[in-house]
Amino acid sequence: MKLKGTYAMPAPRDEVWAALLDPAVLARTLPGCKSLQETGPDEYAMQMSLVISSVKGLFEGKVRIMDQQPPESYRIEVEGRGKIGFVNGGGAFLLKDAGDVTDIDYEGEVKVGGMIASVGQRLMDMTSKMMIKRFFTALEDEITERE
Amino acid sequence: MIPARFEYSAPETLSEALRLLGSDGEAKVLAGGQSLVPMMKFRLAQPGHLIDLARIPDLNFVAEENGAIRIGAMTTHNQVETSALIREKCPLLAKTAAHIGDVQVRNRGTIGGSVVHADPAADYPAALLAMEAKVKLVSASGERMAGLDEFLVDALTTLLEEGEILTEVHVPLERAGVLTAYRTLVQPASGFAMAGVGVRLGVENGTITFARVALTGVGSKPYRATAVEQALVGQGAGAETFAAAAAHATDGVDALSDMHASAEYRVNLAAVQVRRALEDAAGSA
Amino acid sequence: MATTTTTPELKTYIGKRVRRVEDPRLITGTATYVDDIRKPGMLHAAVLRSPYAAAKITGIAIEKALALPGVKAVYTGKDVAAVGPVPCAGSMEDLRIPDHRILARERVYYVGHPVVAVVATDRYIAADALDLIEVDYEPTEVISDPEEALKDGAVRVHPEYPDNVAFTYKQAKGDVDKAFEEADFTCEERILVPRLAPIPMETRGVVADWDEGAKELTLYSSTQIPHLLKTQLALQLDMPEHHIRVIAPEVGGGFGSKCNVWAEEALACFVAMDLKKPIKWIESRRESIQVVAHGRAHVDTIEIAAKKDGTLTGLKLHIVCDIGAHHQLLTPIIPTLAVLMLPGLYKFRSFKASLVGAFTNRAPSDLYRGAGRPEATYVLERIVDKMARILGMDPAEIRFKNFPEPAEFPFETVTGLQYDSGDYAAAFHKALDKIDYKACREEQKKARAEGRLYGIGISTYGELCAFGPSPATPAGGWECASVNVKATGKVEVLTGISPHGQGEETSFSQMVADAFGIPMSDVVVIHGDTAKVSYGIGTFGSRGIAIGGSALHLAMQDIVAKATKYAAHILDVDADTVTFKNGTFSSSAAEQTLSFADVALETHLCRKLPPGTEPGLTATRFFEPSNFAFPFGAHICTVEVDQETGETTILRFVAVDDCGKIINPLLVEGQIHGGVAQGLGPAFMEGVIYDEEGQLLNGTMMDYAIPKARHMPWIETDRTETPSTVNPLGVKGVGEAGTIGSLPAFVNAVVDALSPLGVDHVDIPMTPQSIWRVIQERSRS
Repeated sequence: MKLKGTYAMPAPRDEVWAALLDPAVLARTLPGCKSLQETGPDEYAMQMSLVISSVKGLFEGKVRIMDQQPPESYRIEVEGRGKIGFVNGGGAFLLKDAGDVTDIDYEGEVKVGGMIASVGQRLMDMTSKMMIKRFFTALEDEITERE
Repeated sequence: MIPARFEYSAPETLSEALRLLGSDGEAKVLAGGQSLVPMMKFRLAQPGHLIDLARIPDLNFVAEENGAIRIGAMTTHNQVETSALIREKCPLLAKTAAHIGDVQVRNRGTIGGSVVHADPAADYPAALLAMEAKVKLVSASGERMAGLDEFLVDALTTLLEEGEILTEVHVPLERAGVLTAYRTLVQPASGFAMAGVGVRLGVENGTITFARVALTGVGSKPYRATAVEQALVGQGAGAETFAAAAAHATDGVDALSDMHASAEYRVNLAAVQVRRALEDAAGSA
Repeated sequence: MATTTTTPELKTYIGKRVRRVEDPRLITGTATYVDDIRKPGMLHAAVLRSPYAAAKITGIAIEKALALPGVKAVYTGKDVAAVGPVPCAGSMEDLRIPDHRILARERVYYVGHPVVAVVATDRYIAADALDLIEVDYEPTEVISDPEEALKDGAVRVHPEYPDNVAFTYKQAKGDVDKAFEEADFTCEERILVPRLAPIPMETRGVVADWDEGAKELTLYSSTQIPHLLKTQLALQLDMPEHHIRVIAPEVGGGFGSKCNVWAEEALACFVAMDLKKPIKWIESRRESIQVVAHGRAHVDTIEIAAKKDGTLTGLKLHIVCDIGAHHQLLTPIIPTLAVLMLPGLYKFRSFKASLVGAFTNRAPSDLYRGAGRPEATYVLERIVDKMARILGMDPAEIRFKNFPEPAEFPFETVTGLQYDSGDYAAAFHKALDKIDYKACREEQKKARAEGRLYGIGISTYGELCAFGPSPATPAGGWECASVNVKATGKVEVLTGISPHGQGEETSFSQMVADAFGIPMSDVVVIHGDTAKVSYGIGTFGSRGIAIGGSALHLAMQDIVAKATKYAAHILDVDADTVTFKNGTFSSSAAEQTLSFADVALETHLCRKLPPGTEPGLTATRFFEPSNFAFPFGAHICTVEVDQETGETTILRFVAVDDCGKIINPLLVEGQIHGGVAQGLGPAFMEGVIYDEEGQLLNGTMMDYAIPKARHMPWIETDRTETPSTVNPLGVKGVGEAGTIGSLPAFVNAVVDALSPLGVDHVDIPMTPQSIWRVIQERSRS
């Protein structure tokens, strides 16, 4: 499944960059993130508890941040496994100055397997859109509250 | 296809249900079970405790009160479809209920369960949003009313707080002379709408005086198509108006995409279905 | 209640719309399916399956599962290594059969591949235990698409082979290249025939029961082939065959998916013998969609050559068949049937066909209702339609032009089959008349003038069934029947076929009742138990009545012959003077007559044993057919396509089928109705979808669509009856006809509807979205 979009973050680009790459911020803003531990340079181990309606899924996985071009762009690779399936994804983030806001262009692909792939297709698109929205909203709260 | 272990309670009063719900953080309310039980069988949902509302007689009723029809949360789709009161006073809701799933689903599934599950392609919300329905939410500490538009927060996400139970749906009585229609094109496996449209249309002397249009299955949550409504009111009721208005069916909506229907197809379908539903309603006079 | 004293007239049953004797127990819930079987001390098994399409197994931790109260045992691949591989009956020279173990060993090859089996005191605990098993997978690169799999340098599904070619098959006759060179017109189409999940209403299930004292293994399995399964289990388990009993209790549909030998069958037997406890395993619907061999799975390229008068001269076909990661019983054989039936009802002069089976990281494919023949008929009927359009001929005319005449039968096709009998034009005329073809074309003109998309779709199909002569059927193609007449004149029939919805308890009873002049209620038909029935091949390939019924026919002839001897002896007349009619033995030389029951009793009491005769009235006969039988027919449908939504409305559907002589028209119509539903499914909604990672995306009934009652059109059926010449009953078989004949009619109708837009092919399933996209593309260009 391909995901693509732009979020207009009402903050300067440097600040958005710093927040996006701050593990502490990510731990607070990534939907369902239980823990995010640095395991190496730009590599993290993550625990996520995904809750959507009555569905609950615990995932353990890895996050890698690559190709950093501060404060403009980076790539991210995510890998997670849980009882209800597994998720592999990769995406590119591009930060652009757009006056009062910073436009975050994101584009990526998510591959799911196991139970969630074979029974959850109908809800995949809406769920990922919702997760992205939750993440950016939380990130915006985080950035704007900081000021 | 065998659920994980869970406790099961079937209280006979709402207060007992609320007490049980408040006393167990792992508890989940069971209504008709048409969405929750399949999720449990796949073990995607593993509630530790099910509180079945089926034995609470006070939650299954249809009554008229203060200009609205009150429908108990445990009223089945079949009861909604066949209720003489609903057919007469809120015809769009009865028409919509007839489209849900199949006979077995309509005999088990409930209006409260459907609304709380907040499936973005469920049929009811298209009718309930067009009818400006409200829901009653009760918790141990009190009760509140919420409009359906605010209640549906996002896909599968509602205003319902932990410890709260949706007990009633309130639907205003249909206005005199208003024509209604529900139209849907469903995905053949699930029966869920790829685009479902509820329409209420008031026409006086050939001019549209009142319009409510709501869609389901198109975006990440069902919505009122206010741009369509605005394009209708004040215009002459007819094919051209309907077509022009229907073109606004997905204004500002990020359409869903899945293996059954792409966003592009849903956008097309939404406009076609809105136009046809308006024609159906106008033709039902 | 008033009673009458008149002698009830003896009824005859053959050819009558007799209601199914099976139905009362089925619709009142009193039938016994596998899951209804309970044995003392029975344990329940559950199977953990791979979530990955390709991975190495680096570790399996079972301790937590074993520690769960109620869990009795956990088995991994190495624990069941003694069990032989899942069998495959293919025999091509270059066939590669990878070692197909009942549980995965070092690697998993597809999503759903069985990895671990858990046994517990109930099925709930068994399911809980699956969650406690930790398998370490090291995912490897996946090859999901069959055409990609065949490309140079593609990742290999089985690293021990140099490429993903599972087998190849070629057949040719005549100078096809010359036919194409000399043709006035040629055309080509690439046609996708998606994977289909069989979806029987009852999923698979087994109960294995080991009798330690008698050293006897009993397996109850929801199977179409109990006898073949027994033989295969003996080989897999290295056990003497006479110590194994297989019982197919009530079987809730198969559609070919239970004409197989499944890993779970041997697994349950092994576990039952290991633990000395009865073991039950019931497949979930999710497992069923995931791993029960999908049918079809072709990518076909078909080319056709024709003269301008419409004479079809040459045909070329290339099939890429996605066989999945492993072979099941008939996996490599099924697509070869598509090659054999490729010429359909037409007199082609030359052809060549090539087939490649491609290994992919997907579940095995195998037979599904029609098995090879729907694929062949579909691509042929599509390309013939396309050729008619190119020639500017009516699609009905091009078909009439190329049928063999009735006088040409037995007719040898370009693929070397001998069609037994047929009058193709007669059935086709009947269908055209029934739908009023001319009026439909008029309606189409009118619709087009109004801008509506109205289409008429024709399919004239032939099929090969009544499997079959033994040299052409992997496990033997004969059938066995025993008739035991009891002392009271009641009749027990034991048949080697294994009906699971076809209704042979009814049709065989009709045959017996008419042959012996007794009521149907005096007959019982026993099947599906290897301890009762000596041997049999089973029910598949529309063979029940043609082969099993013919064996029964022979056995009944023996019974009548012996009973006649008895009657003559009792009446004290010469046997030549005795006739048997309507259940009565009479002789011109005697006044006394004897009923069938009278003679039956005498054969048991033996008060007057005819010299040279033995007591008892039983007969067992085998029937080996000389050839397949070749039913045919014409399906025509009219549709209207909604330009704005892409939805198709089926206006009318006419099916004229010729399945030879008919025992019970009600059962024939039932088969046609069900068959048409399974042609409508793939036409408009069905198809297993895998992504490039080999994940099955529509793995539940919420996403995998099969037709529901509301999707079905009114089916107008009719028939012609051209008796087969290859069996004594003249019957041909009808189990698959509806599926084979209907799909091309649906697709041709939609393509015809869209033809004003310049559309000449639409791939299936023709969902509203896919039709809408075609319309969008065409209106843009």
